[in-house]
Amino acid sequence: MPQIITEANLRSLIDSLVKESKLVVGPKEAGSMVLYQPLSNGADLKLGALPRRSSKELFFPICEDILTFGKEDGVTKVKDVDRASFPDAVLIGALPCDAGSPSILDAVFSWDYNDDFYLERRKKSTIVGIACTSCDDACFCTAVGYAPDSPAGSDLFLTPLKDGSYACNAVTEKGEKLVSAHGSLFKEGAAADAAPLAAPDTAKLDLAKIKEWLNTHFEDPLWQSIADVCLGCGACAFICPACHCFDINDEGTPDHGTRRKHWDACGFGKFTNHASGHNPRDIQNKRYRNRIMHKFKYYDDKFGKTLCTGCGRCIRACPVGIDIGDILNKINVQAG
Amino acid sequence: MNAKAQKAKGCGIEPAYYDAVTQAIRSEAVKVLKEGAVSAVIGYLPGRRKSAAVPAVVTTEEEAGRLIFSPACVNNLSLYLTKAKKGILPGGKIGIVAKGCDLRALAGLMGESQIKRDDLFIIGINCAGVQGAVAAGNGQLTEASIAKKCRECTAHTPEGVDFVAGTLPHLDGLTPLEAEELARIEAMPQAERWAYWKEQFSRCIRCMACRQVCPFCYCEQCLCDKNRPQAVESSPRPAGNTAWHIVRAMHLAGRCAGCAECERSCPMDIPLNLLNRRMAQELKELYDYEASMAPQEKGPLNQYKEDDDQSFIK
Repeated sequence: MPQIITEANLRSLIDSLVKESKLVVGPKEAGSMVLYQPLSNGADLKLGALPRRSSKELFFPICEDILTFGKEDGVTKVKDVDRASFPDAVLIGALPCDAGSPSILDAVFSWDYNDDFYLERRKKSTIVGIACTSCDDACFCTAVGYAPDSPAGSDLFLTPLKDGSYACNAVTEKGEKLVSAHGSLFKEGAAADAAPLAAPDTAKLDLAKIKEWLNTHFEDPLWQSIADVCLGCGACAFICPACHCFDINDEGTPDHGTRRKHWDACGFGKFTNHASGHNPRDIQNKRYRNRIMHKFKYYDDKFGKTLCTGCGRCIRACPVGIDIGDILNKINVQAG
Repeated sequence: MNAKAQKAKGCGIEPAYYDAVTQAIRSEAVKVLKEGAVSAVIGYLPGRRKSAAVPAVVTTEEEAGRLIFSPACVNNLSLYLTKAKKGILPGGKIGIVAKGCDLRALAGLMGESQIKRDDLFIIGINCAGVQGAVAAGNGQLTEASIAKKCRECTAHTPEGVDFVAGTLPHLDGLTPLEAEELARIEAMPQAERWAYWKEQFSRCIRCMACRQVCPFCYCEQCLCDKNRPQAVESSPRPAGNTAWHIVRAMHLAGRCAGCAECERSCPMDIPLNLLNRRMAQELKELYDYEASMAPQEKGPLNQYKEDDDQSFIK
């Protein structure tokens, strides 16, 4: 028998978690859009719309301090950020295209260097994913191996039912713990029919073939044709659930300041600008190529995963209408 | 739905209008490419999604035959003539599709000696309006989806162009939203206004789409990218975000053509065009200057006159 939670109890669950001093993050209305933001109570949760930015910022904030420095008696002293003080967190209501991203990013943040900031947050987080029931013509999760009902990456996965409640599937031990700790809010029982799932209008891509094509098309007119219109902004990368590049800046004065880690994007002209003045990706052609190569070849080469969950955010946000779904379709066709 | 309701839903602009503009652009673009009058035409091609169009540099008659004009043709294509996009155009005269608001940018760029009129073949559009944010749907313009700038457009009819595409349909007057919003903010006490903008800038993620999409942000070295020494904090935090948006607005004062591309491109919906409009208001009051479709040799902030207002020097 599956566990069921009513919508009212889902909101009560948030209230309880907040009372337990947990950081509860979920989709919340923020002016003209919905964003994943800290929820102060259950009523804040706004389900049914894809938040404008992905949920990656719970683990990989837009900007975070990684140390502070200051001069004391002529000696520069460095103070680390106390990562132990990061709160236990629950991400609730993450759609499959967002819930799936941390499990992709774990690979790179625990590879040759352990990013303790990311990993500490990750360790302390439980992800409650939810099946997706609405989509638009930019969505292409099913094309890249995800699905509106994919529990990949979720610790606990909710499926909206026709009667307004949710069927709960504990995917991991973290998910089981969340349910058992709040057992009174869940009940065992026969589930009503599931609400109709989103159905992205997109053909499945052959990612292996696309990768093969990329292996042999480092030089191809395709890259220039995209670069012709690409502006070199970072909108696509910043709202992407899987893009994870960051820059580190010391800000303040030589006597007192903060070292900050913040999002960066390979579309920026200065992204690979060396201190020498040499820039290996000196033109947009090479930068956009890197975006596709990183997502569909390099990351796969290194970690066996594709760096895209098909959320479609980059397609919606691109100021010049660059459509990664369209580009992948074209490569798929060319790859035969 | 009755005919009246349908008309209201579609802003009174029939799809046939866009089809006619599309046909006119296509035949003119094909003609000038065929004659060799231009080496390329910068226009719009249809996107995969119904509600999207993509800027394109077309060099063949075949491609020119696919150019479109639809409510999705939002981009100010003059950007593609600037230094920011150098190297993508073939040599020779270039054709460009321009709405009235885009023409003001072309004029501004001519005034700043970035482009020469003689190097261009301008296909101006009798423009009824385009959509605001790209939304899912059938792509038809509705009162809800029309861009805010189009609600207050004073540049429906192109001037000084080489070819005019389409005939302007009857346009129902739309109430201005942006002017009202500007007045509302203007009426706030200073502290409240400051709080308003702090809240807006707090959403900024520093993707720089507002800079990259702007035809007038063609500086090869942007002050905000400098890190030795750092002029503006590059981390997306309140201090740097606020500094960046103030620098942007000030550097565009007297130059901004009002295309509102910065605001349209902002993934965080920051109402950047309010800042541009506020600056434009200032320029109008102080120097009786406004962006127009006719190139002006020097903008008011690029010259000095003895009778310039100096009351701000204290």
